[in-house]
Amino acid sequence: MTIASKLKEALLCMKAGRVTLPYPFEPHDPEEGFRGLPKVDVNKCIGCGGCANVCPARLIRVIDKDQSTRVLVFLYERCTFCGRCAEVCPEGAIEMTRDFELSTDDVHDDMIGEYHIFMGPCERCGRCYRPPTALDKLMKPGMREDTIDRKCPMLCPGRTEEKE
Amino acid sequence: MTVETITERLGQRVGEALLDTRTHKETRLYLTVDPAAVVDAADELFNRMQARYVITAATDQRRDHGAYLITHFFSFDADDVYVAVHTRVPEGNPRIDAITPTVPGAGWAEREMRDVMGVEPVGHPDPRRLVLPDDWPEDLHPLRCDFSTADSPAPVTGMEMPMKDIPEGAVMVPVGPYFPTQHEPESFAVFVEGETVVGSDYRGFYNHRGIEKLGCSDLTYNQIPFVAERICGICGFVHSCAYCMAVEEAAGIEVPRRADYIRTVFLELERLHSHLLWTGVAAHIIGFDTLFMQTWRMREPVMWLCEKLTGNRKTYGMNIVGGVRRDIPDDAHDDIERVLADIEREWTALAEAVPGDRTLMARLRDVGYLSPEEARNVCALGPTARGSGKRIDVRIDHPYAAYDELELSAPVEEGGDTLARTLVRLAETPIAISIIRQALARMPDGPVRAEIDEDISPGLEGIAAVEAPRGESFHWVLTGENNRPARWRVRAPTYANLQAIDAMIKGDVLADVPIDIGSIDPCYSCTDRMTVIDRRSGQMRVMTREEMLGSRQTAEHTGT
Repeated sequence: MTIASKLKEALLCMKAGRVTLPYPFEPHDPEEGFRGLPKVDVNKCIGCGGCANVCPARLIRVIDKDQSTRVLVFLYERCTFCGRCAEVCPEGAIEMTRDFELSTDDVHDDMIGEYHIFMGPCERCGRCYRPPTALDKLMKPGMREDTIDRKCPMLCPGRTEEKE
Repeated sequence: MTVETITERLGQRVGEALLDTRTHKETRLYLTVDPAAVVDAADELFNRMQARYVITAATDQRRDHGAYLITHFFSFDADDVYVAVHTRVPEGNPRIDAITPTVPGAGWAEREMRDVMGVEPVGHPDPRRLVLPDDWPEDLHPLRCDFSTADSPAPVTGMEMPMKDIPEGAVMVPVGPYFPTQHEPESFAVFVEGETVVGSDYRGFYNHRGIEKLGCSDLTYNQIPFVAERICGICGFVHSCAYCMAVEEAAGIEVPRRADYIRTVFLELERLHSHLLWTGVAAHIIGFDTLFMQTWRMREPVMWLCEKLTGNRKTYGMNIVGGVRRDIPDDAHDDIERVLADIEREWTALAEAVPGDRTLMARLRDVGYLSPEEARNVCALGPTARGSGKRIDVRIDHPYAAYDELELSAPVEEGGDTLARTLVRLAETPIAISIIRQALARMPDGPVRAEIDEDISPGLEGIAAVEAPRGESFHWVLTGENNRPARWRVRAPTYANLQAIDAMIKGDVLADVPIDIGSIDPCYSCTDRMTVIDRRSGQMRVMTREEMLGSRQTAEHTGT
């Protein structure tokens, strides 16, 4: 019995042959749809902060640096690659790349991504807000030089109602 | 036994002390009893009506009710009923009669309740600390609402680990702090007379991550599934699934049927790779590394398949309250079938070879015996219970996801030894393959996720259990304000099964202890300290952090 079993086991091993992959000496790309490091496209981002709201590891911080600049800080070392940020982003500004080789030999590499988003100050309360259309955004002071001394105030949605 | 019979019999036993009853779909029974009657109620349920004890949860309700809510959960497996016995313990006098003398399996849960909520179980036979570190302040209870996740008491040195006394004539052998073959930290103290084991003690929870605390303080409903998934490194999908089902039950969210089927497919894929992993680990423990290599080779395609289907090989990130995040496309069915067919063929060859292997039999047969009575007392679960002749399986007893529409069976072995537990797992693997095939064939079309627009209102509760590869994984959610849970209680199967180790290893020889422990397929948390014994005085003490750091530095200097 034992001999027969041992032979069967040996056969199993021999059939399998060598299965170890030559990675990392040869690249081994993950499958399509793999959720790797999230990549943020600042040109698409509207600074809504939805990603920060849903992130389970809470690694996305939203900081309003001044009246018209919102900074999204991604502490990538805490990222668990769940892809919720990419899922909820209304503008499709976050993409889960297939990049999984994140180790570094640089101790100063703190894996922080900072994204500066031009928002626009509400001209009454002074807080960052997203102008309703791209044209409105162009009209914001600071976006273009010729809008600096524009007369008509731009107001965030809450304030617009107040005006009416 | 229906919910009506249970209520009626409890009413007869405790009378006026039964303050409130509420049922949900004839499968959940929520009772509120007076604190004075809680032991009677537990006795009636566990000893008279032969229910299975599940877990105890403690909730801080001082703000709304001026009390701590203590909940003992029981299960009537043959009747698909979960019973929650709620008791409110007044804030001023946080003491409640311990049910452990009546229900032995509640030993750990009541110690945990005292640690995390500060409610004293009066009359507990073993009131030592369980979950909190030895240097944690006595009067600080982390699950109370006034304890913030940002709080962290300063470490104290010189604290002793409260260990059981070594029996007369016995010697203590530490198995740990690093399990010799499982590559996981834990700390067993095994008491031996000669080669024979006469008793044991366990100290774990050293890497307790406070996930329940996060879940009832900082996180919102849809952040928790991803944290729940990380409770276990093998059966993560089980936990996220059970959590989501508990919230869905509480909030009355109807999950699309297709999502149920997708959950079933992944639950079974997880069982498949978990059992392949376990077979390898068990073989490795007894020095049969060829089998270890081969089962892990067979397992790898499942991991790649899951990576392709979900976007990650282990933490799938699939579950969300209301359904799943990714559909299984029709063209993926062939990929799945290819992986299943390969495993089925190789597994059959392996399952034929293994039972004839005399060396293997010599190591597995008649070791680690767990009697059916002991299995019931410690409330053993999954293959550990089924290896001792207990026919319990959540998939059959309390059907969830799509299991009510699929054909499956739960293999049971009467042996009670390590071989019986091995045979149960060997037999479960082809059943898992068959369930995946059935689920894929019968999967209905439709959406995979329910749209949830409104916030979930507070004060609702939901119970969900999932049959993990190791046994029943139990989740209870009590909804709270601000669209987040007020309490989320998790009971992983190893919590119950680890308590069976003491009974299992008694009478065995020391060399069998690793495979005995391995046979429950344990999932430890991590432990980070050592027990050293002074050989001359026989004194036992725990090394401090400073000493460990010191010894590490010495080791680095001397190059050892």
